Amino acid sequence: MPLTQEDILLFISVLKSISNYDFTEYSIKSFTRRIEKILIDNKLDIEALINKVKKDPVFLEQIVKDITVNTTELFRDPKTWHVIKYRVMPKFEDKPFINIWHCGCSTGQEVYSMMILLNELGMLERSKIYATDINTDVMDVAKAGRYVYRFNIDYLENFDQVIRQNPFNFEEYKDVPYERYFQIDKVKDTISMNPFLLNRVIYKKHDLVKQSNIFDFKFDIIFCRNVLIYFNYELQNKIFGMFHENLNNLGYLVLGIHESILGQQAQKYNKKGLVYSKKII
Amino acid sequence: MRSKYIIIGGSAGSFQAITKILSELPKNYNIPIFLCLHRLKHVRTGFVEALSIKSKLPIIEPKDKEMIKNGRIYLAPANYHMYFELGNYFSLSTEESVNHSRPSIDLSFLSAAQVFKNNLIGIILSGANRDGALGMKEVKDYGGITIAQDPEECQVKTMTTAAIKATTIDHVFIVDEIINYMKNLQ
Repeated sequence: MPLTQEDILLFISVLKSISNYDFTEYSIKSFTRRIEKILIDNKLDIEALINKVKKDPVFLEQIVKDITVNTTELFRDPKTWHVIKYRVMPKFEDKPFINIWHCGCSTGQEVYSMMILLNELGMLERSKIYATDINTDVMDVAKAGRYVYRFNIDYLENFDQVIRQNPFNFEEYKDVPYERYFQIDKVKDTISMNPFLLNRVIYKKHDLVKQSNIFDFKFDIIFCRNVLIYFNYELQNKIFGMFHENLNNLGYLVLGIHESILGQQAQKYNKKGLVYSKKII
Repeated sequence: MRSKYIIIGGSAGSFQAITKILSELPKNYNIPIFLCLHRLKHVRTGFVEALSIKSKLPIIEPKDKEMIKNGRIYLAPANYHMYFELGNYFSLSTEESVNHSRPSIDLSFLSAAQVFKNNLIGIILSGANRDGALGMKEVKDYGGITIAQDPEECQVKTMTTAAIKATTIDHVFIVDEIINYMKNLQ
């Protein structure tokens, strides 16, 4: 039986009353889709699901993790990475420290992509990398830096496009070996990030719905890609305001390639191609 | 009359059909059209341009929360699922692929069916897998019109035959008939 909007709203209000998790401002379509999948995977109906989360806190945590898991990949959307490489990073050439926040880092591919890029640009040593997510399971994957090779094989092409090639100069080709950054084991079916990358990241659990910046400093670059698509317009706007407050002057916000800042907060940012820079107001 | 919406799903062998449909629609065609087409993950760009060559109407890959406007053709962006929300806007999602597909035709059709109900026309074209069959059933169940490209005309007929099996199809049409039907909706 298809879920009704009432079912979903009831489930959200139950979660809110028995836990710290507030999905009130989630985009109802994707939320419903997640719940439908959870019901099928757990062979439950909505009533049974509600009863079970009420009684079983461990199950509740698991359900929240299932709702908040997002897929990502190495150098997702190479065009965005070209903008970061050629338009954004040159602005930080002379800055002694660069603070970077990967907000909603999921399984970490974006974090490693950025570190690889920073290292190629000679900027990794002076960069501080912070990564947060509401879902500690996906962050554990990020911390381990180990991925299934066959799911990621397609994305090595992205590495080539961003790290080896120059889209503005087809004659330029840097033969950067993958082994500099990760080891591929086809027998074990793994891609494992090299230890010098693993140790550079500070991971923290963070709930973007409820919490502002949990670090006591501001950032030069905030990544928040394909996270806000799960939130409604009002919550998106609140978060764009929070990011603005927590960006340094000349700081950049990087969103997913099909996300944009709509409404009032848009005037706080300059849209520069695929990224946004902080407007000083 | 309430405004209509058209959603078209296609995969292998649908590119020619789509370009033909787009080339024959007049400049003032004002029913929004949503295209949900499978394409290669790493071919992110160039698809809009390729479709635009023959189209008199603007083709847009919608951004998350973008409003739906008349007279536009919207293409589901590569590597995202495309949903429709009450209030006439899009939302996107990067959740896992369904039937190895992102965008998933089933998910887009289901979402469109729930929101646009009997104002929706669902059209399924040539394709090599079963994505879209469940979506077409949802379109029908929510009171919309279902149209399948005649399997005899499809380069690959798996997708249309799966849809025909899954639900009642109002019209089995060749591409020229689909174009006529769409033109007469205005």
